[in-house]
Amino acid sequence: MNLTTNAPQAPATTQDALTTIGQAPDLKQPRRRRRRPVRWVSNTIAVIFCIVWIFPVYWMVNTAFKPRSEITTATPHFLPSAPTLDNFVLAITGTSFLTNLVNSLIVVAGTVVLSVVVGFFAAAALSRFRFRGRRAIMVTILAVQMLPGAALLIPTFLMFNAVNLLGTFLGLILAYVAAVLPFSIWVMRGFFIAIPLEIEEAAKIDGAGTTRILFSVLFPLVAPGVISTSIFAFIAAWNDYLVAYTFMRDPGMYTLPVWLASFTTPTTGTDFGGQMAGSVLISLPVIIFFLIIQRNLVSGMSAGAVKG
Amino acid sequence: MSTSTERPAPRTGTEGTPPRPRKRRQLAPAILLTPAGLVMIAVTVLPIILLVGISFTDFNQRSLFTGTYSGVGVEQYTRVFTDPDFWLSLLRTILFTAAMVIGSVVIGMAVAALMTRLGPPMRYVVTVVLICAWAMPNVASSIVWTWLFQPGYGVLNWLLTRLMVFGDMTATNWAQDPLLSAASIWALIVWQAVPFIALTLYAAQIQIPIEYYEAARLDGASEWTIYRGITLVFLKPTLLLITILSIIWDFNVFNQIWLISRGGPDSATTTLGVFTYQTAFVGFDLGGGAAISVISTVILLGLTAVYIRNLIRSGEDL
Repeated sequence: MNLTTNAPQAPATTQDALTTIGQAPDLKQPRRRRRRPVRWVSNTIAVIFCIVWIFPVYWMVNTAFKPRSEITTATPHFLPSAPTLDNFVLAITGTSFLTNLVNSLIVVAGTVVLSVVVGFFAAAALSRFRFRGRRAIMVTILAVQMLPGAALLIPTFLMFNAVNLLGTFLGLILAYVAAVLPFSIWVMRGFFIAIPLEIEEAAKIDGAGTTRILFSVLFPLVAPGVISTSIFAFIAAWNDYLVAYTFMRDPGMYTLPVWLASFTTPTTGTDFGGQMAGSVLISLPVIIFFLIIQRNLVSGMSAGAVKG
Repeated sequence: MSTSTERPAPRTGTEGTPPRPRKRRQLAPAILLTPAGLVMIAVTVLPIILLVGISFTDFNQRSLFTGTYSGVGVEQYTRVFTDPDFWLSLLRTILFTAAMVIGSVVIGMAVAALMTRLGPPMRYVVTVVLICAWAMPNVASSIVWTWLFQPGYGVLNWLLTRLMVFGDMTATNWAQDPLLSAASIWALIVWQAVPFIALTLYAAQIQIPIEYYEAARLDGASEWTIYRGITLVFLKPTLLLITILSIIWDFNVFNQIWLISRGGPDSATTTLGVFTYQTAFVGFDLGGGAAISVISTVILLGLTAVYIRNLIRSGEDL
């Protein structure tokens, strides 16, 4: 059983180039004294870059915590003088936020579960077995990933309209699963490939059947891939605007991005404080997930592009 | 697939795919592939076929309710190809995509190079900043953008006025000016595209063996020569793939344009995606929209073929 202990930490195909993020080779050691000023210049440029790049995020958070009177002033206030949660309270209670949040959660949960399960089976088939047409399927999966989502919108709209899936959560979930599936198969397949065949053979000698091997032996080893797939599916379903906007005509069925895009409060019309609070609420979970899985995202999104 | 013949003979060790298994396992992959296959066929393959089909009909809003429509042959295509609006939006898409790809790749390369020159704490800060920009859902970032550029109260209008270069911009309405609305959307896309490019290039850049740099420094090469002669040479495959991916992604940009300018003012920011959406879902000319979709899909498939060929060439085992 000791084979399982050094089981794959990462998909060998795409991951190895990325394992060293955050620890650059020390290029500076030999000529430390000469390179000091360069490091100083680099740090200054980096600070300026960070200020510019974080500014929109900072301004969103800053506005979200400002009282209404401070938001629309001729001279912008760079910090709220009296931070308040009013905007958040208004965004959550003054609108249909909670309904739309539940809608989003239903769609997200459905997308995550389906894309993981379906993707897991397909990835197993495409990595643990060799059969005719495998290569063609992989190329098709890659090509499908590149199709413009907007192009599929029209026929999917008509098909769902014909079978009454338009405006339903199931329809939305199916559309998202189809969009996420190529990525999910690709990432989990990477983990499958990294599992040594001996583990499978050992299980077989011990008398385990194909189903047993799949769930008790392979599934735990692919767990990291399952996690990145889940998070990717979460983000795709959580962020999507176009499909939900086109398919969901009833505001009671809107997901959060559609809610945010049509954000108005009954009393004031356009309310920037509320909009920014809503933006913070929507962005927060995604930013947290990105911070957790940044490495897998880089490798997954480029599907092997970084392999030098 | 001539590439398969150049592939190294049997791989060894755990890195490669498992060896050819016996015949009797052939049923298992078919069963395992069925659910994924059904979903892909129902929500991807059938729609593509249907899309092509619709593009040869006059399907419109009336057909949605009555279910009646008739085949019109290639009429939709001749109409699209003779429509100056189509050519204008295609031209805009190409120019816009070029501007966005160049902007994000150049800035991304610079940031990646910068990151290799930073100490670990500063590099960590840069990474977190990049991820914050990258992770924002684009509906949220588009809403934030309209607020940043809001006439009268937008903080960027105020800051640009302080610069004393462009004069008083506090009341500038970015959404009303063709060039300015395009510029603000460009800034938004580049802002969110740079993180992926920078992090990917940085990851590739730190794989370059240090010996090359040490040798070059001993020979007294300048930093710029080193970057061009060593770094760029090693980054070339990654850079190529990133550029192709960026072209595909930027070509498809829709949300940000739709939410910020709705394609306006006066169609100044109507790219192919927006044009398709307006035709199909605002004017409900679904047949015409389908024809435009088919054309843009063909353009994108051409680009994708280049991408996949490069992926195979870079040694990814399919």
